[in-house]
Amino acid sequence: MAETMVNLTIEGRAVSAPAGTSILEAAKQAGVLIPHYCYHPGLPVAGVCRMCLVEVEKAPKLAPSCATAIAEGQVVHVYSEKALESRKSVLEFLLINHPLDCPICDQSGECELQDYTFAEGRADSRYREPKRFNPVEDFGGDVLYVPNRCILCTRCVRFMDDVHEAPVLNVSERGDRAFIGKAVDDDLTQPWAANVVDLCPVGALLSKDFLNKARAWELDRTASVCPGCSQGCNITIETRDNVVMRYKPRGNDAVNKFFMCDEGRANYRWLNRPDRIELPMVAGNAVDFSVAIAAAAATLKGKRAYVVANPSMSNEALYLLKRLIVKTGGAGHFSVSIGNEAPLPGVEDLSLRADRAANANGAELLGFKRSDNALAGLASGDVLIIANEELAGVSADAISKADAVIVIGIVMPKCVTTAATVLPIATFAEEEGTYTNLRGRVQRFLQAKATPGHARPSWYVLSDLLTACGETSEFFTASAAFDALAKNEPAFSGLSYDSLGLKGAVIAGAMAGAK
Amino acid sequence: MAIKVKVMDRPIEEVSYVRATLSGLALTFKHMVDPHKVTVQYPEERWDISPRWRGTHRMLTTEDGKAKCVACGLCPTVCPANCIKLVPGEDEEGNRYPLVFEIDEFRCIFCGYCQEVCPEEAIHVGRHYENAEYSRDQFVYDLERLTAQTHPVCEMWDPADPKGE
Repeated sequence: MAETMVNLTIEGRAVSAPAGTSILEAAKQAGVLIPHYCYHPGLPVAGVCRMCLVEVEKAPKLAPSCATAIAEGQVVHVYSEKALESRKSVLEFLLINHPLDCPICDQSGECELQDYTFAEGRADSRYREPKRFNPVEDFGGDVLYVPNRCILCTRCVRFMDDVHEAPVLNVSERGDRAFIGKAVDDDLTQPWAANVVDLCPVGALLSKDFLNKARAWELDRTASVCPGCSQGCNITIETRDNVVMRYKPRGNDAVNKFFMCDEGRANYRWLNRPDRIELPMVAGNAVDFSVAIAAAAATLKGKRAYVVANPSMSNEALYLLKRLIVKTGGAGHFSVSIGNEAPLPGVEDLSLRADRAANANGAELLGFKRSDNALAGLASGDVLIIANEELAGVSADAISKADAVIVIGIVMPKCVTTAATVLPIATFAEEEGTYTNLRGRVQRFLQAKATPGHARPSWYVLSDLLTACGETSEFFTASAAFDALAKNEPAFSGLSYDSLGLKGAVIAGAMAGAK
Repeated sequence: MAIKVKVMDRPIEEVSYVRATLSGLALTFKHMVDPHKVTVQYPEERWDISPRWRGTHRMLTTEDGKAKCVACGLCPTVCPANCIKLVPGEDEEGNRYPLVFEIDEFRCIFCGYCQEVCPEEAIHVGRHYENAEYSRDQFVYDLERLTAQTHPVCEMWDPADPKGE
């Protein structure tokens, strides 16, 4: 059924949108952001904040643009005197009990109350009475509630009720005594609950993990993909001075809407770990990269490469490893750690997946074999290549069968004592690359921070190694490595960095909804 | 060959040194009795510096001796010379507090923006100019040093009262 398009005018701009669209969404299309607090595209409409009131010609009163559907021939004024005056009054009411403790508030700098007050609010308050005070409450999980700052937009309540389907929060009391209440016997220790911190337009719900750590304006933001599970939620890595401070979800309607799970969110600290390999090494001595590459190539000469790959390596790195395997007639294996699956009930096909690795699908498409014990197939005389794996819990005996060991990784595996060659590589936050999620969506991640020491991007190291082994593989950018992958691997045919963009693209062979 | 020098015939009152000497001495004697002194006998005597003088920093404290700073991060943000290092954290009572607050006085250009932007009236530029140290690293003032300073602080220029009356 074709959608009926409705034509209207917003701020003098002609807009055409499907029937049923709200004025607020239609205005976004026209490039007009109507200030709003309670409205969020991922939540049901409430219409409680009265911030998005706009003037609609021939309507008797101002209309809440989030809850008013567009109509043919409507003429909407967002910045008319009446609308501005109304929003100014709303802001004055919101600030009556707001403590204005921006200097100590973590939301400062990314606070919608700050932004709109600065843009449209009064310069001073006419309220002379003492402000309401409620103590800070720990909501469990990663969430801290500061009721004084709350503007009761109820985004958090609606998220927990309708999206998480775990009704833990409510609006308690009435009028100026109202606050967000938590169920007595339950709290926000839920797999997706920390999203309320992102949803909160002010500093009322804060992340305990991020509390007092950095200011919003000090952070550098980089588009990336969460490596925590095979869902591949789009994230923004936020760094300060080359230290990753937090992950935030990045909107992608095809993958994670606006959300990410608490486990993925908490999984950033390892990016700042101090025990990284910083220098290439041969037999325990730090050497130049070219020397180490040559040594690794000499080790591989005439031997079978047995690759144990981390399923959170990028498609590019796995593709180059695969070429190394094909050249030496070796084998590639990986194992995936399995966790509990935790779906987000209100969003279709969004879940913390059991496979706690970002690119198991990509590894399988590139011919790596999935097994519980990736070292099982190691035959004597093989050269073992440990690619980005820590091999926790593996004893030195388990790899003693190998003729030689090459470590291409970010940290030294404990079981490796006499590694022939060590090539330090970058983590996913330090290089460019792509992941293939479980639905076959190939998504790019960008470089968020610098590598420590002499470490280099994995595709760079592996293409040098392949060249040293006599293959033609000279890539100077991650996109060139990906182009070669798309050209030579039928599963990835037709893709390029341009077609992926920052929202990703689905590979041709992936069936919609296939497990 | 002898050089012929032209000798100007000038009246004695114009070329005599006596007049110049006397006028010079007159100036000297005038300064001996003139109350307007130019030279200051530093360090025994000192200039009164302007109330808007912007010198090395001072961090004001609350009554219990703690720095007023809440580590909001505005001064390192506004600082045009990037001389303020601030790491926010929490104190024993869970209040926002600077774990590290350092000002590199060598980098500082003494613009006073940090004082102007501070919402807690914590960091101030001082009315102070004697800053000699024995080593360069002592010019990075940490929080302890900044709170221990006792010199008077700058009174910022008030646009409503431009002449400071």
